[in-house]
Amino acid sequence: MSTFIAFWKKEWMELLRSGKFIIVLLIFALFGIMNPAIAKLTPWLMETMADSLQDTGLQVTTVTVDATTSWTQFYKNMPMALIVVVLLFGSMFTQEYQRGTLVLVLTKGYPRRNVYLVKTWMALFIWTICFWLSFVITWFYNSYYWDNGNTSNILPAAALFWLFGIWVLLLLVFFSTVFSETSGVLAGTGAIVLLSYVVTIFPNVQDFLPVKLLGAQGLLLESQVIGDYGQAVFVTVVVSAAAAIAGMLLFEKKRI
Amino acid sequence: MDMLKISHVGKRFGDKEVLRDLDFTVPKHTIYGFVGQNGAGKTTTMKLVLGLLSADHGEIFVDGEKVSFTNNRTNRFIGYLPDVPEFYSYMNPTEYLHFCGAITGMEANDCKMRTEEMLRLVGLDGEKHRIKGFSRGMKQRLGIAQALLSRPRLLICDEPTSALDPVGRKEILDILVSAREETTVLFSTHILSDVERICERFAFLHQGKILRQGSMEDLKKSCGETGFELELEQKEKLEKLMEHFPGGTRQGRRGVIYAQGKGQSMEAVLAWLLREQIKFTKIEKSGLTLESLFLEVVGK
Ligand SMILES: Nc1ncnc2c1ncn2[C@@H]1O[C@H](COP(=O)(O)OP(=O)(O)OP(=O)(O)O)[C@@H](O)[C@H]1O
Ligand SMILES: [Mg+2]
Repeated sequence: MSTFIAFWKKEWMELLRSGKFIIVLLIFALFGIMNPAIAKLTPWLMETMADSLQDTGLQVTTVTVDATTSWTQFYKNMPMALIVVVLLFGSMFTQEYQRGTLVLVLTKGYPRRNVYLVKTWMALFIWTICFWLSFVITWFYNSYYWDNGNTSNILPAAALFWLFGIWVLLLLVFFSTVFSETSGVLAGTGAIVLLSYVVTIFPNVQDFLPVKLLGAQGLLLESQVIGDYGQAVFVTVVVSAAAAIAGMLLFEKKRI
Repeated sequence: MDMLKISHVGKRFGDKEVLRDLDFTVPKHTIYGFVGQNGAGKTTTMKLVLGLLSADHGEIFVDGEKVSFTNNRTNRFIGYLPDVPEFYSYMNPTEYLHFCGAITGMEANDCKMRTEEMLRLVGLDGEKHRIKGFSRGMKQRLGIAQALLSRPRLLICDEPTSALDPVGRKEILDILVSAREETTVLFSTHILSDVERICERFAFLHQGKILRQGSMEDLKKSCGETGFELELEQKEKLEKLMEHFPGGTRQGRRGVIYAQGKGQSMEAVLAWLLREQIKFTKIEKSGLTLESLFLEVVGK
């Protein structure tokens, strides 16, 4: 256990000293603040633009914003935040391969499994704290300006998106054991996510695909129920676990 | 008992046969010199011992335990200095050594003490800067420190002196000598004087094969007479000398070299020179017996 912690400390030091941690933290905090801010500013923006719009013949009706507007914004911004995390963690293994820094670690008899588990855990951990930080900030502002009580399923919807992020990051880790360059890792992960999108054109598989989780904001409006996501959650969890295990096995035999 | 036993190991990269039936042993508490030209397969052999590469055939044992490819358990008692050591550049030397101690499960206090001791040994104590700005020589020193940190039974150094200045080279060689008390050292090099200076045993690797191995004493004995060179004051007398003692090679205007194994002894030549009253400016035994042997062995 203490050898796990020793390697985890090293990962932390890397994130902190390279400035990566501050970057993700700031981005997620910023998104958290932006969601309610944009919602709050929308009516004011509309008003200031109303005059000029009227000249063009458009009629501007007064818009009403509430917590749901802000939460909808949350689901527009989070994919971007996830992409930032993917870009930052896409090199967590490949950078070590390329620099050769793992050689001294492994030739001391440090188990490869530990390296793999710590790095995987680190990626999931950072995603989790950053995602929920952003969530809490949005939630806090929303309840300050409006009322979160009028929006349904806030927590389950967020949990579904969080799970989607876990799936993407485990794919990223898996491809980090397949490829030795960051470009390969990102391309592999991107290809799977894209493929999963493309397959949605077949209506009967839609419900089974991890990308369905990206539409979790539908839950906010009560047009959907949580049960609609059952199959997608099941598939996502199974695929994530499979990717994690396969990655571990590949890493054991990878030439470093 | 042997610390390292390499038994009939073969390795190829694609269609290139890098090691052929490699077979040698390193006894405990010896300093073993592993000599060979660029591309001879020294680094490859070391990576096989560390389980970083898999052998195509043959077996390797470290202190009686069999080496396996990846997750090699024998690595726990090996210290390794790669030819180009790579560290986490955002740490300083102390942090890096603490990290090394921690991942190998060293007890915290012991790790602290040992870190200080090692940094002093390699001359990096008081170095608080991050590794990012280190010169190659400094990295090599830190590399030795991390290799010795956990008191390994076997120390494997891949060209430990290649990036060092003459003073640094001597220091590192001294460290290796002092380490012999506690450990066995296998080190590769193409600096033959280093081998002569500190090694008890050696092996010549050439195109993936061991061409010659043994102890330095055997080597000196088997070579018998070493070569020598001399330089006369007047070049006119050189012809006469070379006629009398055939087998020499001219060097410069007034010099001649008699390589080892040409059947001429320095003492005989010296006696003759005195008898003939021929003045000379220099007469010297060639020191590098290993070098001449090396050249002979690789057929150049
Ligand atoms: N990963 C690899 N793939 C293909 N060929 C390789 C690989 N590693 C080494 N070789 C080849 O194996 C041969 C031996 O290489 P090795 O690095 O063991 O030599 P060396 O004795 O350490 O040389 P040097 O003195 O230059 O360090 C070389 O011809 C090299 O081209
Ligand atoms: Mg080499």
